[in-house]
Amino acid sequence: MDRIDTLPPEIELAQLLQRCAAQDSAAFRTLYDKTSPILFARLLRMLRRRSVAEEALQDVYVRIWQRAAQYEVGRGRALAWMVTIARYCAIDLMRRERMTLVSDDSLAEIADDSTTETETIEKPNNFEHCIGKLNEQTRACLTLAFVEGRSHDEIARLTTNPLGSVKSWIRRGLLSLKECLSSERQSV
Amino acid sequence: MKSANRELVDRLAAEYVLGTLRHRARRRFERWLLSPQVGAIVKAWEGRLAGLEPQLKPVSPPATVWRGIEDRLELRKSPRRPAVRWLAIAASVAFFVVAGILLTSQRPDIAVPPPLAVTKESALQADPQTIYWRVEILGDNQEINLRVQNVHELPAGKSHELWALPEGGGAPVSLGLLPQAGEQHRVLTAAQRAALAGSKQIAVSLEPAGGSPTGAPTGPVLLVAPVSQV
Repeated sequence: MDRIDTLPPEIELAQLLQRCAAQDSAAFRTLYDKTSPILFARLLRMLRRRSVAEEALQDVYVRIWQRAAQYEVGRGRALAWMVTIARYCAIDLMRRERMTLVSDDSLAEIADDSTTETETIEKPNNFEHCIGKLNEQTRACLTLAFVEGRSHDEIARLTTNPLGSVKSWIRRGLLSLKECLSSERQSV
Repeated sequence: MKSANRELVDRLAAEYVLGTLRHRARRRFERWLLSPQVGAIVKAWEGRLAGLEPQLKPVSPPATVWRGIEDRLELRKSPRRPAVRWLAIAASVAFFVVAGILLTSQRPDIAVPPPLAVTKESALQADPQTIYWRVEILGDNQEINLRVQNVHELPAGKSHELWALPEGGGAPVSLGLLPQAGEQHRVLTAAQRAALAGSKQIAVSLEPAGGSPTGAPTGPVLLVAPVSQV
């Protein structure tokens, strides 16, 4: 379908979700083909074990199919909506499986992301500026938690910092981020 | 919300979205998501922290994942895999036995797995006289039947969502939207099955059209009902 192919990816995904909400399984397959490599990479990043990530990916798409009607088309950010489902699924699965730290993890790994040609998640205005204002340790803690799904304990072990410090860096970092993003928004 | 509470909720919401709120604290917080105000705070944090999303190199999942999804959602029309074919044979045998007895006019060319037995049930009601939905749970929490008995008032732009309430105070797990008329049959996900296995109660909440945007209840809880073994 030419018309669909020329649409921006985000709108195309939103339309596919809308068709999934109407139980269109062909649209669901297309949505899966277009987004599953992105979500699988995201799950692998958090869950590490391929077999667990594959199980999680099934849960994620079952949930997407069942919840497609909840996606608000006008709100945009279809991929962000799906990635959030994937992240929460992964956290739930970690909780169930009581997953422990994999020994070969290192802080270096968090900086090696290669960019892709696929759709990316929209960042809030001035996000780079605001995250840049945090100190390096705080940024590392937030990234380990959000990107890799690490707990406070795991972050303390990975960064060899006291648990109390990690908790307070994260707490203050989140607060600073919120204040910076809201003040920057007002001043724009 | 008092400002001290608001600060606490904001702090917990931030760590919920970040992922560092874990275990019992995470489950307790998911209960708070029953409040629309808390839901809105969580949504705001999801927007803020989306900036941390990494750009990862896509990794194609193996084909077995899609087949698993198709099986779980019953999207596939014709069986292809040996396991499904085996089920189809069993189903055909069952069909002819049933057809022989009942002389029904079902189509023998459609392979349907043998129906699961109803193992648990629940009646969602506000008072003993008025049952709004009858809920039947089939097999080992694998499938669910939802039947409208009386129409529960539904404001425009809203949906009724069904939740499993895990025993011991775990976070409610969505079992999907409730139909407004007739009957609906649904196959449950692994997470939903696990939640139902550990739940003795289910609940209905009022959510935005299409259901909770957060994955946890955000609107008022309208009905709570026990689930009993059949």
